[in-house]
Amino acid sequence: MATQGVERTGVQPPVARSAGGGRKPTDAGTFTPYLFMAPYLVLFVVFVLVPAVFGIWISLHNWDYLLPGKPWVGLENYLDLFTPNSANSTPFWNSMEATAKFTLFSVPPLVVIPLLVALILNQSFRGRNFFRAVYFAPYVLGVAVIGILWRFILDPNNGLLNYYLGALGLPDSIPWTTSLPWGWVALVGPTVWWTMGFNAVIYLTGLQDVDPALYDAAKVDGANRWQRFRHVTVPGLRPVFLFVVTTTILASANVFGQSYIITQGAPGNETRVAIWYIAQEGLRSFNMGSAAAMSYVLALALALVSLANFALLRYKED
Amino acid sequence: MAQRTADRAQPKDPQRGGRLARLVLSYTVLILLTVVFVAPLLWMLSTSLKPNVQTTRFPPDWIPDEISWEGYSTILTTSTQTPVFLWFVNSMIAATAHAALVLVTASMAAYALARMDFRGKRIFFVAIIATLFIPPITFFTPNYLIVDSFGWLDTLLAVIVPPAAGGIGVFFLRQFFISLPRELEEAALIDGANRLQIFFRIILPLSKAPLATLALLMFLINWNDFLWPVYILFSPEAQTLPPGLATLQSSYTTNYTVIMAGGVIASIPVLILYMFAQRYIIEGVSRSGLKG
Amino acid sequence: MGKRSRQIRRLTRQEFLLMSAGAGAGLALAGCGGGSQNNPAVQGQGGSGGGGTEYTGPTVELAFWNGFTGGDGPFMRELVDQFSSEHENIQVSMSTQEWADYYESVPAAVRGGEGPDVGIMHSDQLGTNAARGVILPLDTVAESLGLEESDFAPEVWNAGIYNGQRFGIPLDMHPLALYYNKSLLEDAGLDPNSPPTNRDDYEAALEELKSSGIQGSWVSPFPFTGTLQFESLLWQFGGDLYDEETSKATFNSDAGVEALTWMVDLVQNDYSPRDVAQDAEFIAFQNGENAFHWNGIWQINAFKEVSDLDWGVAPLPRIGSEDAVWSGSHNFVIMQTSDQNRIDASQVFINWISQQSIEWARAGQIPARASVRESQEFADLQEQSTIAEQVPYVRFVPAVPGIGDVQPESFDQAVNEAVLLQKEPKTALDEAAQRADQILEENREKYEA
Repeated sequence: MATQGVERTGVQPPVARSAGGGRKPTDAGTFTPYLFMAPYLVLFVVFVLVPAVFGIWISLHNWDYLLPGKPWVGLENYLDLFTPNSANSTPFWNSMEATAKFTLFSVPPLVVIPLLVALILNQSFRGRNFFRAVYFAPYVLGVAVIGILWRFILDPNNGLLNYYLGALGLPDSIPWTTSLPWGWVALVGPTVWWTMGFNAVIYLTGLQDVDPALYDAAKVDGANRWQRFRHVTVPGLRPVFLFVVTTTILASANVFGQSYIITQGAPGNETRVAIWYIAQEGLRSFNMGSAAAMSYVLALALALVSLANFALLRYKED
Repeated sequence: MAQRTADRAQPKDPQRGGRLARLVLSYTVLILLTVVFVAPLLWMLSTSLKPNVQTTRFPPDWIPDEISWEGYSTILTTSTQTPVFLWFVNSMIAATAHAALVLVTASMAAYALARMDFRGKRIFFVAIIATLFIPPITFFTPNYLIVDSFGWLDTLLAVIVPPAAGGIGVFFLRQFFISLPRELEEAALIDGANRLQIFFRIILPLSKAPLATLALLMFLINWNDFLWPVYILFSPEAQTLPPGLATLQSSYTTNYTVIMAGGVIASIPVLILYMFAQRYIIEGVSRSGLKG
Repeated sequence: MGKRSRQIRRLTRQEFLLMSAGAGAGLALAGCGGGSQNNPAVQGQGGSGGGGTEYTGPTVELAFWNGFTGGDGPFMRELVDQFSSEHENIQVSMSTQEWADYYESVPAAVRGGEGPDVGIMHSDQLGTNAARGVILPLDTVAESLGLEESDFAPEVWNAGIYNGQRFGIPLDMHPLALYYNKSLLEDAGLDPNSPPTNRDDYEAALEELKSSGIQGSWVSPFPFTGTLQFESLLWQFGGDLYDEETSKATFNSDAGVEALTWMVDLVQNDYSPRDVAQDAEFIAFQNGENAFHWNGIWQINAFKEVSDLDWGVAPLPRIGSEDAVWSGSHNFVIMQTSDQNRIDASQVFINWISQQSIEWARAGQIPARASVRESQEFADLQEQSTIAEQVPYVRFVPAVPGIGDVQPESFDQAVNEAVLLQKEPKTALDEAAQRADQILEENREKYEA
């Protein structure tokens, strides 16, 4: 299923294929692949697979690791989420909606802007190392620091942004952090500022990996700049692009700190995101069973989005 | 912009004209973006050098009345209960060991997944990708119990090892390995090299850029991690930098000076690391071996 | 630290092994093994040995955890160091985390056998941590120290009781207060030395300030300080958060609606700007743009640092029909352990700090102990003792288990929605009350099971 799309993206671009050929170097000994897999698999099984299965087990109980009674409740924690007016359904789906909106607003700029920046930065010109460092710099900060920094900059009454907007004769009382739709700007803008460097570095790495010989060959064939971009850069970047899109969706869907610090969920709980609600339920209220159930519903939603995404990227290639 | 279109319209020397226009456009975009990117960082730096009572003045001052080291001295005055230097060392050890562990385990696994056929390969890959979708917070309680059963609570091992099990490194490197050209491997196979030799002599040298990128990003994610360390590190000596610095902030009001000074201090080593890693990321040496 | 909790640890390990083995029966069993709720060591202590205000056992190192980060920390740290230097056989080391992180990690640490010996908890957290087996009952500790209700303000003394047992020894009280900017009052033609004490005077003052161009009473839509203001007003209007058994929310009563409406009217009448962000009301007060600021006693030292701010502090004005003010309280707790020496040493430590709590008062607190509160030294702390005039009518959030889950899911949101003018106060409160009732019921099921 999921692999189909991923595998296909690995197909070499047409120009490259002509250079290859010969026998497939994929047949290794019987044990070799497992030896290569073993160290990671040990980690994976112990710290991902077992906890993931254990998490499902927890989600079938009213589970608090400190209480002697952890009653089995079957699917109740899941059914609750789908029962209108039950204790968790409204706030949970509100938070899912906030996460979905944040993901929808933040993924496109986080996929496109870093690509453009990486394409610019991949050219050779004076000072490019300086610019590369500048765009990456915000990402070295932790979310607590960038959250508080931006909350202050965006403060509707005491903030820098409104002050300078006012100085330019523009509206100076925009409620960036307390009202919608401004709240989304206050969450997405700083996030793009903060994490753009992460994606840009990955794109840059991907661009290094595109064989320069392919550009030369294309030039010989008389391809113009756009054609070279379209037929050499784009196919060469495709595996990286799939990685960036997937991880950006995952990162956006796991957003927490920005909403917790910058808007604090306001107004009401409209910008309170899913991870926040799950953390509140599991780590603060110690209802680990229902928190686990919510996590798996979120995971399922993400898996569906990503399947669509894999399918789409493969479709484009055909 | 107009310049650029005009140039492109001229058929005579599209190469040179296009290049100049592109350069102008690039610089314009870059400089504008740089202002947007740098202004908040400068504000952070300026705030870190003000006394806390001056940080929230309105209208804002960019230049402190006089340079105040209040924030930095709050952080750097260490005691047995706030051993900032030790937190720094802990974070260094944890982030470095974490990045190294990811590099070793993920590169091997990614190579097998990208280049070998074996039973269960698809299941492994699907499992690794599928578990990426589970929010990391789901693993907190189970991994707390697992880490406890290993006796790792309140130790750096708990910060280094469990987070390295996530599939992101494997996914990342696999995406690079599948697009590596196969000619060199094929030649080496014909020459009788074994898989390990190919991996170390061909694949890894060809992948300096993605390996450096992954190391940098894994280091950073670990360096800035807050939620998980708070959950499993307890004693002052065991803390890493982010939870440690958090204990220096005031509980009732936001101490902007201390927070921003903490941000500056914590970011310096990472910026140095970035400069260092960038050489490998950007140099584009990876292809040089192929050209001949 | 590892040794004393070997028993708990072993259970943990077994529990984990059983769980990863996936044996259903084993899981059920392991579930029963978890946190040992009752503690035989303390219960059975009776009159035998140890106890009291002296500790004569072998040298122990106590770990003391709390959330006194930032400005509070040094005051407590100094006391702790002084204690350690005066007690040869008890060495105390203190470490701090922000409160929210602290309440998350203390249970995890105690369960893993890496927890502290002594800690501080807010009175409304005692029930939750008692029910979860994190902290020990302290009746015998209180008894052997000879502590009685008469030593404390009754409200705060009784806040430490859960299920008929005492779980906290009160250290302090920290109520809300009215901070006022003297120069702004003077500029508006008001007496800078007598801030308003009732609704009419307060509103009249705001009108005067408004005509001199000052929005005089900024209202925060966030828990700090909006919810604290709402709770105080709710009690002033004769309402309460919950019913007698803490089983139903009552904050949407007429009193609640009146309280919240009064806050919203401050915004509607332009006495407060709209869209006040986190800390903005505090920043505006510091910057001389906000005349009246409802905030906790803990801000005294923060405002003292602002050199060009001419301010004073007073009890809250009575806006409703009776005097009332929200207050929190820090309590000493002893963490789950079976080591009697540690318990004995901890109680000596608690008693000593509580007697020295005048030093702690300087951090911006009211000592819980009457003897300290009535001392001349406390009277000399001008701001603190002014705020302490409210002690007869301070109100606390009840200490039932899980109560901390209710507020962020219910009236915090109602206050936010109403103050940001997104919903009518009554609608917001009714919706919040419905949600609160659900959580209260869930908690009852959970903690009574």
